[in-house]
Amino acid sequence: MVNLPLLSADGDVKWILHSLEAAPDDGRDRSAMALALDAAEARLRSILQTVPDAMIIIDDCGRIESLSTTAERLFGYPTAELAGRNVSQLMPSPDREQHDVYLRRYLATGERRIIGIGRIVVGQRKDGTTFPMHLTVGELRSAERHYFTGFIRDLTDQQLTETRLKELQSEVTHMSRYTALGEMASTLAHEINQPLTAISNYLRGSQRLLDRIEGESTPMLRDALGKAADQALRAGHIIRRLREFVARGESERRIENLTRLIEDASTLALVGAREAGISVSFQFDPNADLVLADRIQIQQVLVNLIRNAMEVMIETPNDRRLEIATAAGASDLVEVSVADTGSGLAPEVASQLFQPFVTTKRKGMGLGLSICRTIVEAHGGKIWVEDRPGGGTVFRFTLRGAQIEEAEHGR
Amino acid sequence: MVAEGVVHVIDDDADVRQSLAFLLSAAGLAVRVHDSALAFLRTVPEINGGCVVTDIRMPGMDGLELQRRLGELKIRLPVVVMTGHGDVPLAVEAMKAGAVDFIEKPFDDEAMLSAIRAALARHAQDSDRSARTAAIQERIMRLSDREREVMDRLVAGKPNKLIAYELGISPRTVEVYRANVMTKMQADSLSELVRMALIEGGAQ
Repeated sequence: MVNLPLLSADGDVKWILHSLEAAPDDGRDRSAMALALDAAEARLRSILQTVPDAMIIIDDCGRIESLSTTAERLFGYPTAELAGRNVSQLMPSPDREQHDVYLRRYLATGERRIIGIGRIVVGQRKDGTTFPMHLTVGELRSAERHYFTGFIRDLTDQQLTETRLKELQSEVTHMSRYTALGEMASTLAHEINQPLTAISNYLRGSQRLLDRIEGESTPMLRDALGKAADQALRAGHIIRRLREFVARGESERRIENLTRLIEDASTLALVGAREAGISVSFQFDPNADLVLADRIQIQQVLVNLIRNAMEVMIETPNDRRLEIATAAGASDLVEVSVADTGSGLAPEVASQLFQPFVTTKRKGMGLGLSICRTIVEAHGGKIWVEDRPGGGTVFRFTLRGAQIEEAEHGR
Repeated sequence: MVAEGVVHVIDDDADVRQSLAFLLSAAGLAVRVHDSALAFLRTVPEINGGCVVTDIRMPGMDGLELQRRLGELKIRLPVVVMTGHGDVPLAVEAMKAGAVDFIEKPFDDEAMLSAIRAALARHAQDSDRSARTAAIQERIMRLSDREREVMDRLVAGKPNKLIAYELGISPRTVEVYRANVMTKMQADSLSELVRMALIEGGAQ
């Protein structure tokens, strides 16, 4: 038994029990038939009013026969405004223009593209706004008439939720990595300090024992042991600074000579530069010589930038030139720049270069520049990247200058 | 005999313990090693004189508890505390509990040896100890009034912003004073500054 809707002239929906209509003279009482008809009609009306999904019934020409209350609300039209209109009115282009074609093609070929399958499509409300929706279409055939029933689920909320969820997930992943970094630094500090202590103790002890031994090579040995012990202590210092920094975000700053600081960092960072055919030039601004900085941290920033620049240049056949410069900037800021003649940066990479765990290197962790940024910002400065005129990249960062008169206030 | 000058090294990390024993022996000191505070306490009846160099964080009894226990037992052994964490509150607690000094790992051999000599000299002439205190006092003398005010607050664990508020100056200026204090006091870290202030304070 199939229920089919028909539209009367006044726009009211009349429901006809087709099976009854198809067999009118089986000897039953007409009034019983009318009663059954009314009951079926009431049943359907109540279904249309309460079905939680939006439901639209159209005929084989695409004309709307009826729709559920949810569908009225969803599209923003009352039934009276839609009844008899082409359902394509509820879709944006290009479906709007194409819908009649879809229908005719189906009726001609019987090839199902949406019926019984269900698809995510876009709907258009009365006010012109569109929304994602899931559409399932059922088909009714009876006598000469042919109807289609569409069930529609609004996906707006669902999609918003999914997008937001994805955003949150990536933020959380990022944050947890960041927090893990802090914890890692703290745990590592303790774990690494123990062997460093043992190394330095053995070296210093050996150095003392050598004092009592005569021999041609002993002065050299003593010297080497002393230097090795110094390096163990230096490693300890770096870890201590890193841990204090992660824990408090406040580091120990001194008034430092920027030129010397850069020269020291370069000695370390430029190992292998000559072999790689990289020429290095320095340009120091005498007005930008004193800065308020944690020497070890700023050296880490410089080493990072210089090593990056060298790595990039080694990959290109260009002229390999590294230019390191300082300049006095506005409002007693001092600017430091590290420029390379490498292949430059793609804009989409440049915008997120300082984010943790973003890297262009195959083996990198993507932490170097993010640590640089954290250090520079904790120093009250900024770090950014620019294209180098003539090709390549320039990294620039600022530090707060320490003017002589300020230093003298402390006297 | 040497019993008076024995340095008791307590650390749960065997490599740190043995390497320190090696260093101290090479420097001509008599050393005994213990792998825990409790193991050390068991040998206490045999001990007379010397000093203790102990790690702060150890499983079982930690360095602070050991200091308290020695106090209860009325054993007046000078204690030098080592820490691989270097956090200021812990160091302050150790110094208040009567430690002679605290040393952050990894340490310079001279820093450790001068702390140990000062500890060993505690019962004797106190000459090393007072020389050390005098050096710190001399550095403090070179601070300006403002720098001294900033240092007192730094040692009390106050952050730059609070110090700036209390002194009615900008945090930026506090940073400059702080940098000057650290340079004049020859302190590498805040915990070292605290250590010096406590040594100087304890001498007064």
